[in-house]
Amino acid sequence: MKTATFPLSAGGLTLTRPVGTVLDDIGLAVPRGKISVVIGPNACGKSTLLRCLARLLRPDEGEVLLEGDPIDRQKSKQVARQLAILPQNSTVPEYLRVFDLVARGRTPWQSPLSQWSRGDALAVERALALAGVEAYSLRPLSELSGGQRQRAFIAMILAQDAPILLLDEPTTFLDLPHQIELLDLVRKLNRESAKTVVMVLHDINLAARFADHVFALKDGKIHREGAPGDVITEATMRQIFGLDCLVIPDPLHGCPHVIPR
Amino acid sequence: MRRPTAVTWRCFAFSGRVNPQTLVLTVLTLAILMSVSGLALYFGNYPLTTAEISTILFQQGDETPDIVIWYHRLPRLLVGIGAGAAFGVAGALIQDMLRNPLASPDIVGFSSGAATGALFTVMLTGSSFWVLPGAMVGGVLSAAFVLALAWNKGLSSARLVITGLALSLFLMALVDIMMARLDPLTAADIMKWLVGAFPSPEWGDVVLIFGALIILGPFALWQGFALKSLALGDDIATGLGLNVSTTRLKILFLSVGLTACAVGVAGPLPFVAFAANPIARRLSAASGAGNGSPLLGAAAVGACLTVLADLVCRSLPIGADLPTGVFTAMIGAPLLMWQLTLEIRKGVI
Repeated sequence: MKTATFPLSAGGLTLTRPVGTVLDDIGLAVPRGKISVVIGPNACGKSTLLRCLARLLRPDEGEVLLEGDPIDRQKSKQVARQLAILPQNSTVPEYLRVFDLVARGRTPWQSPLSQWSRGDALAVERALALAGVEAYSLRPLSELSGGQRQRAFIAMILAQDAPILLLDEPTTFLDLPHQIELLDLVRKLNRESAKTVVMVLHDINLAARFADHVFALKDGKIHREGAPGDVITEATMRQIFGLDCLVIPDPLHGCPHVIPR
Repeated sequence: MRRPTAVTWRCFAFSGRVNPQTLVLTVLTLAILMSVSGLALYFGNYPLTTAEISTILFQQGDETPDIVIWYHRLPRLLVGIGAGAAFGVAGALIQDMLRNPLASPDIVGFSSGAATGALFTVMLTGSSFWVLPGAMVGGVLSAAFVLALAWNKGLSSARLVITGLALSLFLMALVDIMMARLDPLTAADIMKWLVGAFPSPEWGDVVLIFGALIILGPFALWQGFALKSLALGDDIATGLGLNVSTTRLKILFLSVGLTACAVGVAGPLPFVAFAANPIARRLSAASGAGNGSPLLGAAAVGACLTVLADLVCRSLPIGADLPTGVFTAMIGAPLLMWQLTLEIRKGVI
């Protein structure tokens, strides 16, 4: 497989819905091996953008390139071996056990005739350990807390063994300690397994702390992008959120910290 | 670390994982099916002993008992097994595909569509040769109609059931108009078939339904793999590399095809397709399985239900000839009400 400069990129992405333009001629390139975070006000098209990148939504115009080739012209199964997505809402059968959920992550590597190879078994064990969900691998999802559930889903997309991970607001419904725990896990995966991560986050301070690269979206356009220190500034916050705030360096981590006035 | 107990098999590039409880339950259901089948061969108006039956089955017997078994009880039993299994798989496919226990061919009007199509072609051509194509076309048309009307960014249970009900009522009226042109005797026979009955099937019917199972069954099992990821929702399934729309279409055609064949030989037996999968699933979920669609289990349960209902309808002393569908409805309708109550309580409807 040839290696493109950017593992995932998009050009001219436009999506119009009856309510208005959701994505307006967006072009972006995701840096390899980095954590990119998409931020922006509600209804600015953050999730829509991520869903387009993951081929869950087809844009009206423009195209998404995965390793340099149009994503919708590659076989879905091949795409799934390179790119894993954790969507925001999932309807999961209550009776499903964590182990079985994680095992489903192997789907792109399986076929109806080969549903449990040695490689599958190994990858599932690795994913369970990496996400730290071994302790409750036999419990049904319905018995788990929100944080445990989310970890189980992370384990599922880890079992998928794809170098690119897309996460759509992975911290929703989690309390602060669990949010930090989950994002620490994401960072560990990025640093130790060299995963390229793109995620949508609501909380700007968490974005500032965990991102290597930030895309700031407003009205379906990328308003600014770059390192957190360059993007998360008082001026940008005013422009994209209309927020009057003070930005100081975080005393613990050195990243920008936003304090609304 | 803790792993689920599972029977893993690997052979060259092929491999799979089966829950032992699921295995035991499937074998158990098959055992029940065998015993019910035995009873179905044993009971009837013409008394026969077990010794006589085994003589007839495995050697040559006397003339009349021979005819009773080979031309009445055995084909009827086999059509019951085949049609029940086909209904069971057809129901499981579409219920699991839409993640909706109410979306079975008999509830949402595919069966009545197939029946109307079959009836229409028979009356038009005057021969029963076109029953199957007619049932197929009727089934596909009604499926397309119901799904198109009920689809609104996904399928809601309520819309699906009500649209299916409306279609069934409309088709019933259509059938009544068609039947008005028939002589009373034929009309009575057809009425019985429309409730779901196979009082005197021929060996051709047996060949037809088992042929359909042999041809379509492997495809259904193949799609069972796709159903595993579809169960997690469209987004996750797409993320896992499944082409959701094409898979839906394939599964829909398989389900309608199996339904049409089953309706062709046994009439639109109500509730078998609806009940088989939930029963099979509840059995396997209770045992902690929950891996994949229990298509084989649904087939076995569907066959059991049908043969059992047919046996009861044959051996009740009330009247000689109640259609089998009456009894599947008596088992299935309370199940439907129960399911509806569950959905209402969950706030889905």
